[in-house]
Amino acid sequence: MRYAWLLLISVNLFGHDFWIEPSTFHPAVGQTVMLGLRVGQDFIGDPVARSAQLIDAFTARDARREQPVNGFENRDPAGFVRIERDGVAVVAYRSKANFVELPPQKFAEYLKLEGLDWISDTRGHREHFFRYAKTLLRTGNTSSPPSHVRDFRYDIVPESDPWSAKPLRVRLLFEGKAARGVLVTAIHRDDPSLRVSARADAHGRATLKLPKGGVWLIKSVYMIEAPKDSGVDWESLWASVTFER
Amino acid sequence: MGVRHVRALILIFAIGSPISAHEIGTMRVDVVFHRDHTWTATVIGTRRFVPQAIDIRFDGVKVANDRLSGDIPPHAKTFTWRYSRAYSTYALSLRNEGQSAARQWIESDAASKTFVLSRAVVPPTRLETIRQYLALGFTHILPEGLDHILFVLGMFLLTARVRDVLAQVTAFTLAHSITLGLMMYGALSVSPRIVEPAIALSIAYIAIENVVTAQLKPWRVAIVFCFGLLHGLGFAGVLKELGLPRSQFLPALVSFNVGVEAGQLTVIAAAFVLFAYWWQSKNWYRRRFVVPASAAIGAVGLLWAVQRVAS
Repeated sequence: MRYAWLLLISVNLFGHDFWIEPSTFHPAVGQTVMLGLRVGQDFIGDPVARSAQLIDAFTARDARREQPVNGFENRDPAGFVRIERDGVAVVAYRSKANFVELPPQKFAEYLKLEGLDWISDTRGHREHFFRYAKTLLRTGNTSSPPSHVRDFRYDIVPESDPWSAKPLRVRLLFEGKAARGVLVTAIHRDDPSLRVSARADAHGRATLKLPKGGVWLIKSVYMIEAPKDSGVDWESLWASVTFER
Repeated sequence: MGVRHVRALILIFAIGSPISAHEIGTMRVDVVFHRDHTWTATVIGTRRFVPQAIDIRFDGVKVANDRLSGDIPPHAKTFTWRYSRAYSTYALSLRNEGQSAARQWIESDAASKTFVLSRAVVPPTRLETIRQYLALGFTHILPEGLDHILFVLGMFLLTARVRDVLAQVTAFTLAHSITLGLMMYGALSVSPRIVEPAIALSIAYIAIENVVTAQLKPWRVAIVFCFGLLHGLGFAGVLKELGLPRSQFLPALVSFNVGVEAGQLTVIAAAFVLFAYWWQSKNWYRRRFVVPASAAIGAVGLLWAVQRVAS
């Protein structure tokens, strides 16, 4: 069975990664790129249909302007964008709050899995989670890394050329400031068992030595205490970036 | 986007959105419980489905399964579904054949709510099977099998002597049991286009012989035996339409045959009580009752024969 090995990888599934899968990571000028939303684990995910109830913002920004990503409600792919010029277009998806409550044991395991070891689970196990997913579409031979997405509360910002063979330097920013000590993980699409992880330093910086080319998902989860009147204990912020090098 | 995707999205519209915002995937699962005591699941909207990750439970007991179909266990009352490789919220539709579907949203790898199976889809116990097929066999004669009723009456009208009736009924029973069994086990196959007109002719023959003679001739039992073979083929045609449960083939077959037998004996008993008991010793019994009644039965048999050939 082709996917039988999937059962051998991780067994569950406390919180799921969320990312954007474009129809191509290297579009030509004038080309329309289909943008699929995916939720899953180990870079293996279910397509998520476009939902106005979920989307807080869905935009594409190139060197000159930002435009909304259009699409049809309840459809997969969730959106499409036309590439207008050479350079990097950053497609960014920001979700509204989703609620989840995990049993205590699962919550503890989830904290461990996502490297959230500074969180105390005595506070409770109810949370709102937010998605901050982006994908990098490269047209031409630009090598300049894209900047921080302003509206993302939590963001993985490449600081070196993501398309070069050199180790990738990233900065993790929570509300524009360095997120210290968080875990950041890179997963290869064609070989999800190929994972590279690092902890952010005091400046929120981490270096990922990606061993080969192909499509990569870089993900990280940040967690903070929820506001008192929110009805939950925590807010978790799920950042991801996909690109092909 | 294929037709199936469109259907899945129509479903999403049709059953509305879940109460709070969830990451709804494109996967949709339809599970149908069939009257032949099997279940089938259809999964659409995903290319990554892993059947080994299904957790199917009847009455809370996990079924070893890596396929999207299977038998419903005897006595099962409830069903739950879980798919551990789902990451998004998806629509699950559960339906007893012939009823409307119950739909629910499943949060990624969570288990479904318990679904109650209808009695029609759950395999009956052996006792229930026997009871059911006895009834089916009986009602196939009384009241549904007018042609068989007329044939049995034809046998009975010749003579109401117990020994003569018994000889004919035994020959008839033995014969129809043989062909019914052979047909149901697939050893024999005869088209209803031949069987049905032949049954009608057998009725006509028996009745006409009653008009011609008042005695049980030696060949009569042999002919009744041959006609019994024909009627067995007719019973098998009906039983094939009704279907026999795979797991309880023999008890169902035997019960049906016994039910048929009981129906025939009831016809004979009723005929005896209603007229033979009172009138068979009268000197007009044959002239005024047996001959006209047999002639009428013979006419009906001939009419049916023509109709069945024509249709």
